[in-house]
Amino acid sequence: MSVDVRRRRRSRQYGVHIALTTIVFVGLFPYLFMVFTSLKSNEQYYASAIAPPWPLHPENYVVAWEQVRPYLVTSVAIAAATILATVVLATVSAYVFARYRFVGRQVLFALIALLMMIPGISSLIPLFVLMRDLRLLNSYVVLVIPHVVAGVVLGTLLIRTYIEQLPGELFEAAQMDGASGLRIFVQIMVPLVLPVIATVSIITVISVWNDFFWPFLTVTDDSMRIVSTGLTFFQGRNATNWGPLFAGYVIASLPLLLLFTFLSKYFLAGVQGGMPGGK
Amino acid sequence: MVQNLTPPAERSPVRRRSRLRPTLVAYALLLPTLALLGLFAYYPAFSGIFHSLFDWRPGFDSPFVGIDNYLALANDRLWWQSFRNLGLIFIFTVTVGWILPLLAAELLITLRGSRSPVIYRALLVAPMAFPAVVTVLLWQAIYHPNQGLLNEILGSIGLGDFARNWLGTPDSALLALLFIGFPFVAGLPFLVFLSVLQNIPTEIFEAAELDGAGRLRRLISIDLPLMASQLKLLIFLATISVLQYGFAAFLATGGGPDNATLVPVLRMLNVAFQGSDWGIAAAMATVLFTIALILSIVIVMSGPKNTKGADDER
Repeated sequence: MSVDVRRRRRSRQYGVHIALTTIVFVGLFPYLFMVFTSLKSNEQYYASAIAPPWPLHPENYVVAWEQVRPYLVTSVAIAAATILATVVLATVSAYVFARYRFVGRQVLFALIALLMMIPGISSLIPLFVLMRDLRLLNSYVVLVIPHVVAGVVLGTLLIRTYIEQLPGELFEAAQMDGASGLRIFVQIMVPLVLPVIATVSIITVISVWNDFFWPFLTVTDDSMRIVSTGLTFFQGRNATNWGPLFAGYVIASLPLLLLFTFLSKYFLAGVQGGMPGGK
Repeated sequence: MVQNLTPPAERSPVRRRSRLRPTLVAYALLLPTLALLGLFAYYPAFSGIFHSLFDWRPGFDSPFVGIDNYLALANDRLWWQSFRNLGLIFIFTVTVGWILPLLAAELLITLRGSRSPVIYRALLVAPMAFPAVVTVLLWQAIYHPNQGLLNEILGSIGLGDFARNWLGTPDSALLALLFIGFPFVAGLPFLVFLSVLQNIPTEIFEAAELDGAGRLRRLISIDLPLMASQLKLLIFLATISVLQYGFAAFLATGGGPDNATLVPVLRMLNVAFQGSDWGIAAAMATVLFTIALILSIVIVMSGPKNTKGADDER
């Protein structure tokens, strides 16, 4: 009986492999198509969209790099500035909420947590008008602020939860030794919450890379475009120039792909922890 | 939690003298965060609701109009059509959009060995690592009427008759748009399904197998019930994200052809940025916010087993 079950299972595993491989292939197919096409000349692409690229045309990447580079630089700068501001604000406020006892603590925390419930798109219009009134349109600041707001809300929640799971003795011992609040924060808390900071940072990079409407509406100056809006502009300019166009897509994908490859643990934690919010 | 309620200062009575100081320090430290969130999160949220009652003309005086903006959008045929499309998008997302991730998760936990499941999982979720814009632009190229991959493949396998302008025909545009990202495995639902299934003790599966329960039977009577509370969370998140759906439609179809892919977000942006009817756009934003709020409350309040209720909302 058990041998029978076992044999049936064994034979079934081929089917499982075939099914999983098929799903993987279908899922990755558009990206394989992207890499293929990025190495083709227009004539090759018009002849057949499926055929493998031969001879290769790596010079497409040179053309694309020239045009996509400024968008990448802006996106990286925006992401870095956002991460810096988010991490400073979120770690400090999470620490305060976790370790200080003060009047209004619960209410203030609830006010921050409540912001998780507001769908970003419903404040898009009023936020746009506010930025316009503050004369911040077409600036780097306008690109950073919404991501900092989202990051601080999520970061404060995640980091506070994390601190509260740490043994309280850690902090008390340091306090007994006469360490100041600042020293406890910098030398004990920050090193301990680094994994959460990494997750929040990755969420920030993903949301900067994927945000579209906000940068599209608030920044019209081509020199300040980020990857998402820059690529659509780039597509408009190269609509019939398939090779360089797809090479540009490949280049624009590399930063997230590198994060995914080398920090996949934090990347997946980010996807699962940063659940609400723009996609 | 309880242990945290005892103030850390209790063990050193010397520190007790300054009860007020920590409070002031706490407020001072929180000030930057609270100011940021107050100005850029709370103010816009209230400003939107407030200005939905005005003929909002940013930079000029805006007369109070009461509920006129809401009456205007109630009479806006395109606004209603955008919700019809949104309903279809929601139904698609929670049915077709979840079946393949569920299937992939089931297949993955069936797999024996320690190495291959890890590799498959990485490859299955890899599409997540590509920017959303790139994914949409790639599919747009795949759907291209003349040089598109899809039409070429159809032609080469003798199904050339099915070739069409996928995104440019009202009949197929919405469905073509929704298939962007097929097979939808690279995403949160898959990860959630997988972690639920991985946390089911293997004894349960073995017991089910000994009782002669087939795979489908097991799915229905063991796997799905255990997923109920997670499904509730996923439905909640799907609701919020579907309400905000718009970016892929904006890029791939612009809401067309013939408004076949128009969604509320796009209608709202059109009304604001093309029509300059900021008051009506603010009313639309308020409606979206209210719907999200009501659905959140309904979904959170309904019991974990009662996930069907959320589907019926539509």
